[in-house]
Amino acid sequence: MFNLVRNENMKIYRRVRTWILVGLLVAFVLFINIMSWQFDGKESQGDGWRTVLQQEKEHRNEVLKKPGLEAEDRTFNLQRIAVIDYHLERDIRTEDGSIWDGVNGSAQLAILISVFTIIIAGDIVAGEFASGTIKQLLIRPANRLKILISKYVASLMFGILLLFALFVVSFLANGVLFGFGHLDLPLIEVKEGVIVENNMFLNLLQTYMLNGVSTILYVTMAFMISSAFRSSTMAIGFSIAALFAGNILLEALQRFDWSKYLLFANTDLTQYLSGQPYQSGMTLSFSIGVLAIYFVAFNLISWLMFTRRDVTS
Amino acid sequence: MMSTSEPIISLRNVTKRIGRSTIIDDLTFDVPQGEIFGFLGPNGAGKTTTIRMIVGLMTTTNGQILIKGKNIKTEFEQAIQHVGAIVENPEMYKYLTGYLNLVHYARMVPGVTKERIDEVVKLVKLESRIHDKVKKYSLGMRQRLGVAQALLHQPSLLILDEPTNGLDPAGIRELRDYLRQLTRFGGITVIVSSHLLSEMELMCDRVAILQGGKLVDVKPIQYFTQGSGQAQTYRIETQQPELVMAALSRMDGIEEVKLGVEGIVELTTERERIPEILAELMQHSVRIYGVETVRRSLEDGFLELTGGKQIV
Repeated sequence: MFNLVRNENMKIYRRVRTWILVGLLVAFVLFINIMSWQFDGKESQGDGWRTVLQQEKEHRNEVLKKPGLEAEDRTFNLQRIAVIDYHLERDIRTEDGSIWDGVNGSAQLAILISVFTIIIAGDIVAGEFASGTIKQLLIRPANRLKILISKYVASLMFGILLLFALFVVSFLANGVLFGFGHLDLPLIEVKEGVIVENNMFLNLLQTYMLNGVSTILYVTMAFMISSAFRSSTMAIGFSIAALFAGNILLEALQRFDWSKYLLFANTDLTQYLSGQPYQSGMTLSFSIGVLAIYFVAFNLISWLMFTRRDVTS
Repeated sequence: MMSTSEPIISLRNVTKRIGRSTIIDDLTFDVPQGEIFGFLGPNGAGKTTTIRMIVGLMTTTNGQILIKGKNIKTEFEQAIQHVGAIVENPEMYKYLTGYLNLVHYARMVPGVTKERIDEVVKLVKLESRIHDKVKKYSLGMRQRLGVAQALLHQPSLLILDEPTNGLDPAGIRELRDYLRQLTRFGGITVIVSSHLLSEMELMCDRVAILQGGKLVDVKPIQYFTQGSGQAQTYRIETQQPELVMAALSRMDGIEEVKLGVEGIVELTTERERIPEILAELMQHSVRIYGVETVRRSLEDGFLELTGGKQIV
């Protein structure tokens, strides 16, 4: 089994294509971070953060004076002011203008990890059918289930590599741009009406983990289509379409009660951390349950279709 | 060359149906150790399907396939470890070097050492190009790399599907000699498929003829060249063909006499009768310049078996 995964890794990393994807990810991270440093983060650097906070506080006070402000906006502005005061009074700098600004911001690029891992996973089975090498692969003393698992594991490992690359590159790039200080900065948030200090690193880890759940689901979907239909184009196309069109579809279907059972309605687990879930009555455990069912179903279909069908390519 | 031990591979009533059509219909045969066994038949006769079933790429609808006594369906890993194969074209990972392709397959079987890889590379004479990417290989080189990966784990059964596809005559000859060497000294059993009779004649010990998914017959290769029964055809060269014809027509035990061109008379009879026939002809004082055995063409033998349907 270990050797099979080694083989799959060799086939992934000995291809130029793979390194183009990794290179693209690195380029994106650098580009986004340099841009946001240039246009946004620069002014908060050093002691600039105090001035920026003062300006924001004045602005929010202005907003609060406006007549006919909705209750929701009002609460939000008041909370922001409370957070700003907390920062200023205790002299705890904001993450703006520090290394954390860019590192946290880069976590938004996790969608790229999903896309790139889908590309690898969508091709990892179907590609062997297209090239005909599947015949040579399946006539070895390793049954088809083992081959399938090794390919699945290798796909997910590629996702982990990209995540690692994302973290390291954004950490180094922002360290160079903003300096490597303030690593122990707390994250100041309003939780249930109270201001709390959280660990910045744990927060980042949480963001990565929650994004990871969505990545795993979409990658598993791509892998399933790849093994069931033996077509990379179909696997990559469908999965990326689902990744992006899912939310549009959800908006159109929101009035139907059953839409909460859709994959897309549950992949974004951050909906339970901040604000409203997609439909009232959905809970974190509901989503985890639904995702688990999809996960098992996808893998079951991959397995059945890959191990039972004749190889005629 | 044949051994009396149990067959390396045996097929029992193997049938493949896809939907309503029967692709392979009730194949039964054994191949003993050390034999080069051929699947011969026109395209679409079921050669590749049979090979795919033997190596487990396709399932059988009915019947069973045993390799060294292990059922390919229920004991896949134990059965397939004795098999090295190229199914259709030798497709390799083009973006890897030839060497890494071999490393890839070596990792899938326990006990294949680095030394063994080097040994196989030397065997197929790819030493100078083995670290090049496969996409730069010629078809012949790919074919040789295919043979190398099939031999890597020292299989007892080597299966080559249309192995001469894309090989030039020199390459075919080389492959043939090589297969001979393997069976004779390595004790390997080889199954090859082809739609070309002439290739089969040069390579195989026995040939199974497939047609429309059915096994027409399994025959030793001599059958095609020497005929089925005792009687063979002989050609007599003489200056007085009419005289010979007349004399022969009065003799017993001669199946057929034909007048050929330029003083040739063809007769079909048992080998044992030849000296007597010649002695009698001498008594008629005809001048005979030569007697030779006529080898039946392979096509004749084939047509006889398949009831006149042309091959290819």
